[in-house]
Amino acid sequence: MGSGKTLAALEPLLRPADAVINWARSRSLWPMFFGLSCCFVEEATVITSRYDIARFGAEVFRPSPRQADLLIVSGTVFKKIAPVVLRLYEQMPEPKWVISMGSCSNTGGMYDVYSVVQGVNQILPVDVYIPGCPPRPEAVLHGLTLLQKKIEETERPSRSVFHLGGGRQGTQAPVLVDGVTKSRDPRGPGMTGTVIRGSSVTPPGFPESRSDLMWTPEPNRIVLGEQEKSLSETLSARFGSSVKTRPTTSDILTLDVDKEQIKPLLRYLKTESPVRFERLDDLTVIDESARRDPSSYPDFTLVYHLLAFDPATRVRIKVPLYGDIPFTETVTDIWPSADWYEREAFDMFGVRFEGHPNLTRILMPPDWEGHPLRKTHPGRATDMAPYTREDAATKQPLDGGFYIRQPEAGELILNVGPHHVSTHGLLRYILSLDGEEITRLKMEIGYHHRGVEKIGERQTWHQFIPYTDRVDYLAGAANNLPYVMAVEQLAGIRVPDRAQCIRVLLSELFRLSNHLVFVGTFAHDLGAMTPTFYCFREREMILDIVELITGGRLHPSWFRIGGTAADLPSGWKEKVDEFVRIFPGKIDEYEALITRNPIIRARTVGVGRISLADAKDWGVSGPNLRACGLAWDLRKQFPYSGYENYDFEVPTAVGGDCFDRYVVRIEEMRQSLSIIRQAAANMPEGRCVTDDYRYVVPKRADMLMDIESLIHHFVNVTRGPKIPGGEAYVCCEIPRGEQGYYVVSDGLGYAYRMRIRSPGFANVQVLPMMADGWSVSDLIAIIGSVDYILPDIDR
Amino acid sequence: MQPILDSDMMSSWAPGVFSLVCFSTAVLVVVAVLLFISAWLGEKRPNPEKLRPYESGIIPTGTARLRYPVPFFLVAIFFLIFDVEGAYIFSWAAACESIGWAGWIQMSFFIIVLLLGLIYIWRKGGLEWGPEKH
Repeated sequence: MGSGKTLAALEPLLRPADAVINWARSRSLWPMFFGLSCCFVEEATVITSRYDIARFGAEVFRPSPRQADLLIVSGTVFKKIAPVVLRLYEQMPEPKWVISMGSCSNTGGMYDVYSVVQGVNQILPVDVYIPGCPPRPEAVLHGLTLLQKKIEETERPSRSVFHLGGGRQGTQAPVLVDGVTKSRDPRGPGMTGTVIRGSSVTPPGFPESRSDLMWTPEPNRIVLGEQEKSLSETLSARFGSSVKTRPTTSDILTLDVDKEQIKPLLRYLKTESPVRFERLDDLTVIDESARRDPSSYPDFTLVYHLLAFDPATRVRIKVPLYGDIPFTETVTDIWPSADWYEREAFDMFGVRFEGHPNLTRILMPPDWEGHPLRKTHPGRATDMAPYTREDAATKQPLDGGFYIRQPEAGELILNVGPHHVSTHGLLRYILSLDGEEITRLKMEIGYHHRGVEKIGERQTWHQFIPYTDRVDYLAGAANNLPYVMAVEQLAGIRVPDRAQCIRVLLSELFRLSNHLVFVGTFAHDLGAMTPTFYCFREREMILDIVELITGGRLHPSWFRIGGTAADLPSGWKEKVDEFVRIFPGKIDEYEALITRNPIIRARTVGVGRISLADAKDWGVSGPNLRACGLAWDLRKQFPYSGYENYDFEVPTAVGGDCFDRYVVRIEEMRQSLSIIRQAAANMPEGRCVTDDYRYVVPKRADMLMDIESLIHHFVNVTRGPKIPGGEAYVCCEIPRGEQGYYVVSDGLGYAYRMRIRSPGFANVQVLPMMADGWSVSDLIAIIGSVDYILPDIDR
Repeated sequence: MQPILDSDMMSSWAPGVFSLVCFSTAVLVVVAVLLFISAWLGEKRPNPEKLRPYESGIIPTGTARLRYPVPFFLVAIFFLIFDVEGAYIFSWAAACESIGWAGWIQMSFFIIVLLLGLIYIWRKGGLEWGPEKH
């Protein structure tokens, strides 16, 4: 276009044009409404009033890549979602920019695990990296201003805009290749060939583990109650020697059952036994091949945890399985909820369940090789071949037609998710639509599988605590509780009263914080924008208190085995009291905005109903179960951490529809607030961590004073404490329902098996029942009302 | 016909061919310039992924050219009927005074007929919307 001379003459004109275009572009960046995990919560907080990203001209979060020019990759990039991330990036118009937010997106972060891409820069070019786990909202704003600066200082867009050839705009950074332009080594570049320190004592083998040299007392032993004893006698009378009661247990009645008798036994326990175990609480497998003493174990153990509602009790059933491809019968005809649990056991361990209607992979991508939770499968992504851009371009999610076979004539197959504003995370719904009516609904999960159960087998007992925070990233410290309690139960650690009270205080603050996000997003899903801003305003008040006490916001990692990380700081009570004083009025405000809103009532009353019988059968827990009319709350039924000392109600509703699920949560906020008030008023004096330092990290003051504490501190921080061999299952009422940790120890510094029973996995499995026959817009209301979160489902 | 005065020549209130021509030309030029600028300045870099329909990051299944169910068609038809009603009522309202009571009676008759139509489709369930099962 013209000779070189005219171009040279144009140059002085292009400079100001560059400046104008850059100024306009950098001040009107439109980010995509795209989130992968925890980081997105902080990214979304930036939109709300305290941080107000509108000041930087970037408040127009776009749900579609067509309308966005900034991709903020917020959170963990999973191998299963990476092809979707790449497609979204490709579908954005140009010029476009990429901000990588958070450690996971930058480098894989703390998730050096088989399912996670070790840095989004292996598949996309990145302009700006924001460090943090998660970065604070201010850091997002800082990242945005850095990108603005980069655009203004380095880009020359006008040549390209005026078709003159050349110029420079958008992301110019190269996509990195592991081993060539980047190093995935967690220690940084230049360490190739040197074994990672400590890796010789991580799974599958633990040769010469120093934990073997340490002595511990026996694991905790409980005495079974009369009811358990009589149940045990009834069972041995009926089933003979094929059902054996374990003589000792650390937590609940444990039965060893032969494979042949398992179905009759489970059917009996559910429908005929004197105590009816109506819920399949959890079903999982342990790969026994790496035990210190393999001779006393089978190849695999199948573990069922059952729950009875009346009287409230639990039982554990263990079934030995043998062979490289072990098989057993499905129990989906006894509990329909076993469907997903058995698929997970198949996916993770390769256990076959004969008679299962659809035994396919559930968490891992369909083309995955091996079963990740087997001891022979590599745990770290850095032990596997790097994930490349070619992988992201070829390993596509399965076609919708794979899930919905032979749709009726005139029916549309529609994918909602994995990237969708209303799916609340990486979950894929595949709908078959007649008009806008849902005729069939299938779900695909596993896009957020962070392999946390595998990580639990290589982090020491203390090191694993930060991972529990991230299992339900809106419930923060409430997540720590079932884990530390399970370890305490197993090792028989007594927690001081003050620590218990602090734990309750923190857990309830996080319940409020979680329910506030629920109320805001639920209303937002129904088209009401305003409540989100009110709810996040109060949520910031809670996070301020949390930050004052723990130093963190989303992920405080603040509970410790045996207590808490530190005592309450001075000034905590004034902050809590102030919050308790003003918050009741705020709840009334939300109710005025939402509960009495006729549009919201019309959209939710009677929609997405589920009956109490179905909810029990499918293992639904938490507010979703209480909305069906059952006053079932673990804080009342199995009081823990001193909850028996608080005066509070268990709110219920009767209809089990979307509106009921909302109302129950609103009422729960009032009850939580009352618990917080009581905890703050009656905070006992004393220690915040147990004085038996065998298993815990001693208080720093003691560590500096005497040699005993110093030794314990050194051992428990570096090598980690040795927890006596055994197992314990502890469930807590976290905001979303019943979250349980089943920890199995082989007497080492690490868990042998770390199983997480998450509320979301069971709660979401019933969604097709709720949504059947409703319209697409109702589905959005139903999704919002169930209040799930993806790391909790996929773990 | 009223004489066109110089002062009225470009008035948007006085009818006149000249002002109409000027206005139309201005509209055409502005639209053409806007279309050209956005087409020329907007850089087009198509690739197969970008041209693919966006469906939550997944490759869509099947065609979007489906035979849509009847309710959508009914809604479109009802909308047309009542939209046309609006057009008649507005023009009657503008000329209300000059056509007097006769016009009022004719308009009332028209509205009553449409109202009867509305009641009819309402009774027949034509306005029912939403999932049939619930």
